[in-house]
This record gives sequence, structure tokens and C-alpha cells, in this order.
Amino acid sequence: MSSSTLLEPTAFEAIGAPWRIGVGGAATPTSSLGAPLSADDRAAVLARIEQFDRDWSRFRDDSLVARIAREPGSWSLPADAEPLLDLYERLHAATDARLSPLVGASLERLGYDAAYRLLPAGDPLPAPRWQDSLALRRTPAGLVLDTAAPVLLDVGAAGKGYLVDLVGELLVQRGLRDTVVDASGDVRVRGERSIRVALENPFDPAKALGVVELRDQALCASATTRRAWGDGLHHIIDAITGRPVDAVVATWVVADSALVADGVATAMFLADPARLCAVFAVEWVRLLADGRLEASAGLRGELFA
Amino acid sequence: MTRMMTGRARTTAARVAAPIGATAALLGTLTGCATAAAEAEVPVDASYRDGTYQANGTYESPNGSENIIVLIELENDIVTDVEITTNPNNPTTANYQGQFASGIGDLVIGEDIDKLDVTVVAGSSLTSNGFREAIAAIKADAVES
Repeated sequence: MSSSTLLEPTAFEAIGAPWRIGVGGAATPTSSLGAPLSADDRAAVLARIEQFDRDWSRFRDDSLVARIAREPGSWSLPADAEPLLDLYERLHAATDARLSPLVGASLERLGYDAAYRLLPAGDPLPAPRWQDSLALRRTPAGLVLDTAAPVLLDVGAAGKGYLVDLVGELLVQRGLRDTVVDASGDVRVRGERSIRVALENPFDPAKALGVVELRDQALCASATTRRAWGDGLHHIIDAITGRPVDAVVATWVVADSALVADGVATAMFLADPARLCAVFAVEWVRLLADGRLEASAGLRGELFA
Repeated sequence: MTRMMTGRARTTAARVAAPIGATAALLGTLTGCATAAAEAEVPVDASYRDGTYQANGTYESPNGSENIIVLIELENDIVTDVEITTNPNNPTTANYQGQFASGIGDLVIGEDIDKLDVTVVAGSSLTSNGFREAIAAIKADAVES
């Protein structure tokens, strides 16, 4: 054991999930996330997460997303918006509009709202069509969102993964090139080391379905069982129907960024993996409702099922 | 890693019918008189002495410092049983630790101890680091020299 294993990684709770961040290079043992951040680095990370939440959370009244949901207008989006919305445009196209950032109202209809009401308020509500609701303009000052009516955005499909990327980038800027950022299901490792990630069985947290190796990559997991609040009610919505999906139970996606891994992990519930792989450079695993486990041929790791 | 012999840990150890030599060796580490052994590199293809081993893992949660006690039985380099004693400071931690304690046992039974070497377990990430530290200490103690 190197001395780094004697140190606990940084741990905190943010945007509704436990986070852990470790600093460690090629010599860090696999079993260790690495050493903790300094107090300054930790404070900078928390401030970055708070900024993201203030922009993108639909669960707080003072967010940019909450203002966009109250009135139409031309909204100057923050600098981090472009990669996120670019990915949403590509996922929207690759899933024939089944994945959309416009499912916010559909989720609220089903009960997944800012008050965590968790009771359906009526029949499933299909999401509004992208072309009817949103127009994105790329200007010298940055991305501008034009809306003709109030629009409830939900970046839940890729937002947390993207934030994992942003936190890692911030740490690179602060001189930390070898890090693992683990936001409970969305993990990215940077630098020379490899890590191993267990794939938890969504029906039985007692079981791991496999282990995947990552090096300078991200892995994001998504499961309908993780945020479910009733019979057939969970947070992964088909935007065309406004209903939760039911054929796929869990997905895991490996990509170069957590943004892409997280977004494609959601898209794997809504589209054929082969079609997504034609657009995105990813490896994947998915568990179907009938118990079948599927994986891409290039996945680096092992499956136990 | 903080390695301290708590009253609860002693109780757990006393309940187990363990090969005296193996348990005694580990207790030595836990009480802090053999830190050199715990810091030795463990070879990937190491062979381990049969026996029952125990270690205490600590980790920082948003609620403060928490700890778990991991006890495993090794036979022919295979983990044949895992017992986890949780010692939560609050109900949220108890919930996470409970999920973890029931989960990791099934995961590791029948697997070679070296296969436990993962960096992240999705869904139990708060607890798994304490578990891994405990396992790392056990591996260092159990390895055949």
C-alpha cells in the first residue's frame, strides 16, 4: 500500500447525491480513490457545483431554468450550456425525439416535481416538440435561447455527468491532472491510472453484474429503479408519449466524457444501441426487463451474469 | 486509514470461532503495533493464509466520521464468508450501511479475494471505501510471506 491509501478521498453531498473525489496517479492502488482535495480545491469544487445547480436545477425557484419556465424571452445561457445542449440536439436526433430536454412538464405531470409530490396529476403528457418550443442562437457573446412560451427544461439525462466533467476540468486548471470524480453512478478518471467499477444489479444491490475498467474515461449508470416513486413511475421518460419506459431496466455507458456517457446511458433506454453507437464512440451494457444482459463487444471488463 | 480497536470490534472478534494465530496476527495490526505489515505491497497473485480476519474501516460521510468492521473467512484464497458490523452515527448512514452490508457479502462470496479490488461500487459509494480499506488491511495481514 502506498501512503495515499491511508488518506480518505474528499466526500460530500451535492445535487441530491453523495460525491467522492480522490487525487492519485498510476501508483495509486486500484482499491483507493486517492487522496483528498485541499481545503481550497474542495471549496472551489463546491462553488462550481453550486453555480451549475443555480443555472440548471428545476428543483429550485431561483435557477435560470425556473425563470425560463415562468416567462418567454431571449435567454443568455451560461458558458457551460453549449456542450450540454449540443449533446441534447444529437441525442434528440438519434432517438427520433424520444430523448428531449423538454420532458420537464411530463415529469411534473407524473409527480416528479420540485415539491417531490410524487403523485400523478393526470394522464401522461407528451413533451412539447423541440422545434415548436426552443430556438438556439450561437452569438459572439455565447449561446442564446429563444422561447415563445414558458418552457420547463430538464437536463437530468446528462446534467450530472456533465457536472462530473466540469469538476474534473476545474481541478485540471488548478493543477490536479490525476483525479477520480465519483458522483454516485457517474464516474470519471483522469490521468495515467486505471480504475475498476462494479456494475450494481438494480434489482438487488447485493449483486454486481460485472466490473468495467476505465482509464482516462467516464462510466455512467442509469436505472429505472434508482428514482422510482410508484408502480411503473420513474424518471426516464419517452418524450413522444410522456410515459416512463419499461423495456429496459438499467444501462451503463463508457465514453471519453461523462457528458456523453450520461446522455447515451439515458438514450439506451429509448433507442437501439447499434444506432447510438453509429453516432457516439461508446461501449455499453444494458439490462432488459426480461432479465437479459447485453453488452457491446469492445467493453473492457467482465460480466458475471 | 484509522485503525483503532473499539469495544464493539472486540465483541465481534470474540464471537467468531477463528484460528487463533490468524486472528491474533490481525489484532496485532489493529492495535497499531504492526503498521509495517499493513503497508507492505500485496502481490496480485498472492497466496493467503486460511483463517478469519477482521479490520476496521473508517470514512468521512456528510454526517461526519463513520466506521464499519469487516470480518472475512479465507479458505484456499477464496472468501467463504463476509460479516460486516456497522456502527452508524445516524439513521441515514444506517440505511446506506445496511444496503451495503447486505450487498457486498453476496458479491464477494465465492470470488477470489483479489477480484474484490474495485475502485467504485455504484450505489453504495459512501460505504465502499471504508470496506475497501478494511479489506486492504486484511490482505496485507493474510498474505503468505
